[in-house]
Amino acid sequence: MTYNFAFLDEDTKRMLRRALLKAVAIPGYQVPFGSREMPLPYGWGTGGIQVTAALLGPDDVLKVIDQGADDTTNAVNIRRFFHRVAGVATTEHTAEATLIQTRHRIPETSLREDQILVFQVPEPEPLRTLEPREAETRTLHALADYGLMHVKLYEDIAQYGHIATSYDYPVLVDGRFLTSPSPIPKFDNPKLDRSPALMLFGAGREKRLYAIPPYTSVESLAFDDHPFEIQRWEQQCELCGSGESYLDEVVVDDRGTRMFVCSDTDFCSGHRMEAQA
Amino acid sequence: MMLAAFANPVFDSQSNFRELLQAMARPAVPRTLPVLPPAPAPAAPAAMAIVLTLCDATTSVWLQQPEDEVVRHLRFHAGLKLADRPQDADFALITNPASMPPLDAFACGDMRYPDRSASLIIQLAAINPVAAGGAGNTFAGPGIRDTETVAIDGLPADFWQQRAALAALLPLGIDLFFVAGQQVLALPRTTRLLEG
Amino acid sequence: MYVAVKGGEQAIARSLELLAEARRGDTAVPELELAQIRGQLRLGVARVMQEGSLYDEELAALAIRQAAGDMLEAIFLLRAYRTTLPRFGYTLPLDTTAMRVRRRVSGTFKDIPGGQVLGPTYDYTQRLLDFDAAVAAEVAPADVPLPSDMPRVLDLLDAEALIERIEPGSDPEPVDLTREPLMFPADRATRLQNLSRGDEGFLLGMAYSTQRGYAESHPFAGEIRMGEVDVRICPEELGFAIEIGSIVLTECQMINQFHGGNGVPPQFTRGYGLTMGEGERKAMAMALVDRALRCDELAEPNHAPAQNQEFVLSHSDSVEASGFVQHLKLPHYVDFQAELSLLRTLAAQHATDAEEQPLSAAGGQRS
Repeated sequence: MTYNFAFLDEDTKRMLRRALLKAVAIPGYQVPFGSREMPLPYGWGTGGIQVTAALLGPDDVLKVIDQGADDTTNAVNIRRFFHRVAGVATTEHTAEATLIQTRHRIPETSLREDQILVFQVPEPEPLRTLEPREAETRTLHALADYGLMHVKLYEDIAQYGHIATSYDYPVLVDGRFLTSPSPIPKFDNPKLDRSPALMLFGAGREKRLYAIPPYTSVESLAFDDHPFEIQRWEQQCELCGSGESYLDEVVVDDRGTRMFVCSDTDFCSGHRMEAQA
Repeated sequence: MMLAAFANPVFDSQSNFRELLQAMARPAVPRTLPVLPPAPAPAAPAAMAIVLTLCDATTSVWLQQPEDEVVRHLRFHAGLKLADRPQDADFALITNPASMPPLDAFACGDMRYPDRSASLIIQLAAINPVAAGGAGNTFAGPGIRDTETVAIDGLPADFWQQRAALAALLPLGIDLFFVAGQQVLALPRTTRLLEG
Repeated sequence: MYVAVKGGEQAIARSLELLAEARRGDTAVPELELAQIRGQLRLGVARVMQEGSLYDEELAALAIRQAAGDMLEAIFLLRAYRTTLPRFGYTLPLDTTAMRVRRRVSGTFKDIPGGQVLGPTYDYTQRLLDFDAAVAAEVAPADVPLPSDMPRVLDLLDAEALIERIEPGSDPEPVDLTREPLMFPADRATRLQNLSRGDEGFLLGMAYSTQRGYAESHPFAGEIRMGEVDVRICPEELGFAIEIGSIVLTECQMINQFHGGNGVPPQFTRGYGLTMGEGERKAMAMALVDRALRCDELAEPNHAPAQNQEFVLSHSDSVEASGFVQHLKLPHYVDFQAELSLLRTLAAQHATDAEEQPLSAAGGQRS
């Protein structure tokens, strides 16, 4: 038995494509879609995979990253999947890719207008931990009633002196829909705002799609006396010396010695090559 | 004899979809559809390209001019359900925009599900770029970096007033694809027409 | 010296080789044949077909072998296969009244028209490990053949108007949950569809909770029947129904007490369960959970987990649950790093506060 190009049948692709167009037309709004059971497990990127499959054409160059790295096993596996079912070219270089599927990071290299970033999303509903009932959260979005989230963030400040959310930090898209940026570190949130590239989000298990169009306002929630701040390190990347990238902390010996390195492996190797040149 | 549809359905609809997606993501900028299928009159090939790319037996389409040949063509190639009334349509094909129904005749979604709304495909004679300082429609909104100006002619006189009235209902609304020749230009509900 | 984690591709290739070797086991022992799995592990095959939503014994057997007997993995394999299969048509509703019954029991009447039929059941086996199972059993033929048509027990109550009546044909066209997302509130047909694909263990636990006070449940097993049912379709070009085969089903109709409410008089109400193949435990659990989920419609207090449709339906699916629970083994070090930074900040703040206000009650409440 042979599968269709990019695995999904054409009816399914049309369903996804219609949903994606509505997602782009209503920035930040979660469009329910008939998520299919994919040959990879739910929670491992089935939403992103379905979005990528609906987009992918033979001329695309695909990059897949997990935690910012191209060579983590799940990223390798998803890239292998698309190579097998669509035969498309793949790359590890951000600048060469037309489509980038990602889990938990936005590349450090600025994206362009001719690129599309596809996010894997475990929980699309930013209010879910505050209100588990879908019928309720739908109503709160309809009313743009995001008091629950403001109260939660404010209680953090009252209790800890800080907003105690470090990743999947909620954003307001186009001033209307409260949206989950997926579990990217809040370090990456500013890259969402007025991005030249289209950003699409797929939640397979929860059966929702949403989008942030290019050049769209994306505001990380904050208070006047507690402005939004991103993570910063005292260290620089020990491999490339970058002082502006997101760093992974690595334990290098059994005495607990740490070293800090770029999470974006393509950015890091590019930076090293530049330094050598 | 019935006209053909896409020669390569998988790849033709994929390449057209990517342009439609970019058109929706970058409103008011005309883009070129790479593959146009044959289309019986009064449907234009670019409109047919959109319908064949996006519609099938699970979508209902309203035709402003349901000529027998178009109906047969769409039923055969896409297995479409035709909507009798504009308010039941997921997609509407407007072949004579000067006499199209008012925009509020179409579904604009409900507050919990604003995506349950119509997409209109409107056939125009031409979509004209506007030289700096020339007369045209200037737009702003998500997807547009600063502003975009383009000339969209041939619509009912009060079309832009109707659309502005719908904007009060956001996030409810309807989304528009304009086609002319090989070009497509999208105006999602969030795109605002700037005055003067 | 730290080397960036590389070699994911090679690691996966090696892992697949190890998996293939482990699955096959000792090559001196013959490989399991699919006919053996179909014939001798039929209840496992039934569960995989049921929760995999695909009636195909051969493919279910293949999935079980490929999954080395891990039923949830086999279910996942079958689901992933069926997802892109085209729909050629839709069957007419199955008529379980016309089931060719192989087992049929009722807990509500001592005797029923057509009789109680034990059929092949583990119920009275005494559960002694049978060390001589290799000896083939001989089956004595029945003295009296079973009637070809057995009335449903609940229809007998229906004649007396003691049980709620459900008009045949009054159901709306069901949503296909494998093509459409689950929406809330979900109607009964949609709920039943979700439950029938749901994990047997999850449903069993939920059903059990309704018997232990976590719902207003007073159930009787009205009827459980298992046997073959014909599958019919009505092709548009023919205009009349044709039979395309038959499948084995297990159906359970629970009878529940109901004291009246929401304009409905006191009467017995129904809970319904249906599975492909022999799946009695699942069918019974499903019927109990179905009845519990009808609380809003019957204006019963809705306070127990098994009555909460968002809770039950959102967590019933083993493929969804297994994927999301196990995704935690994927790398999360970017987010973990973010949490480390945050925790260091909070801990430093805590230490500063503690130094400044060693005796403050407010400081003691921080956690």
